[in-house]
Amino acid sequence: MPNEQRADIPKTIWLNQPTEVNVTPQLIRRRSVELRGRTRRRLLGTLAGPAAAAFFYVFGTTQLAPLQEALQLLFAFALLWSLAGLYFLHKGMWSAEMPGDVALTAGLGLCLREMERQRDLLRRALLWSLGPTVLGLGAFIAALAMAGTRDRGMFPNGLPFLILVFLWLAGYLVLRLRQQRELQREIDELHEIEKENRGLTPRP
Amino acid sequence: MGGTESISAAHASQDDLYREVSEEFGASLARLAGAYEADREKRRDLIQDIHLQLWRSLQGYDARCSLRTWVYRVAHHVAASHIIRERRIFSGLVSLEELEMLPDKASGSPAAERRLDLHRLSTLIQRLKPLDRQVIVSYLEEMDAVSIGEITGLSPASVAMRIHRIKRILAQWFQGGGNDAK
Repeated sequence: MPNEQRADIPKTIWLNQPTEVNVTPQLIRRRSVELRGRTRRRLLGTLAGPAAAAFFYVFGTTQLAPLQEALQLLFAFALLWSLAGLYFLHKGMWSAEMPGDVALTAGLGLCLREMERQRDLLRRALLWSLGPTVLGLGAFIAALAMAGTRDRGMFPNGLPFLILVFLWLAGYLVLRLRQQRELQREIDELHEIEKENRGLTPRP
Repeated sequence: MGGTESISAAHASQDDLYREVSEEFGASLARLAGAYEADREKRRDLIQDIHLQLWRSLQGYDARCSLRTWVYRVAHHVAASHIIRERRIFSGLVSLEELEMLPDKASGSPAAERRLDLHRLSTLIQRLKPLDRQVIVSYLEEMDAVSIGEITGLSPASVAMRIHRIKRILAQWFQGGGNDAK
């Protein structure tokens, strides 16, 4: 069979596939409401960092009262850090709305833009959400350890749990850094294509 | 008063334009969503997202590019963003170059004798990275190189080279005759 005809077979298969096309204006409106709800839920999810920092702060200062002076500053810093993080994370997520000029920009530029946005969002999440959580948790563990040396209460018993929490955090960090590297590789690849497109580095 | 009227008129034309787009491109948009999402439920959501963003975008349509280019740019953007969000790690996705290097699954096996089917084609497309996916979907939608270039932002030479590769890959995957397709 000639190549051209052979190449047309997938086209025929593709164009003749059954499709479900029943999108109505009502459905679109409902979807719009759903999407707004989803964005709200994602934004609420960013409260996890400050909530964790606040929990460690309150628990540390009430339950480990003798140590509050020593670690209060650290707890307070973690809380402030996470609250500042809310602003940056919210800013990154709201920009997830489709940009107005999307139809005037071609696919290559849009892919680049979206990947860079995702990479920045990952960076922000590490810096502004994971960072204060780790600091709050670290300060909390330091408080427990210091209390443990006095009355041998909570620290030795809670050690396996704390180790698990740290392992989880380490795993989360490794995964996020890997995702970031993958995205960066993709971004570099797209930049290369962009350069080739402009004729800056002609393909050998 | 005049302002309200013009806003209503804008909404009316946006709705009219959307209806026109939906009628003309509805089926191709559904096929495009299938190229990006294999899961049936998620695909339905993706189709709705594409239509929603399209409806929103049409408010700003000023005929600076053709309606078809506009529609496909928005649709590909929504779909590509979807896979970038859903699968943040791209290690499972390959480029056209890498796909060419993969062993031809059809040749030399009983699968080579099987009927060509949509599932194989969709699976092949879903393995591709977003930009190559845009090219192959546009090619399968019978667009010419100029239109594909407008949608993807790739140069005509780059589009031509990718289409050449796509044809060769499709020939290999569907007929087991990749070597003589050069």
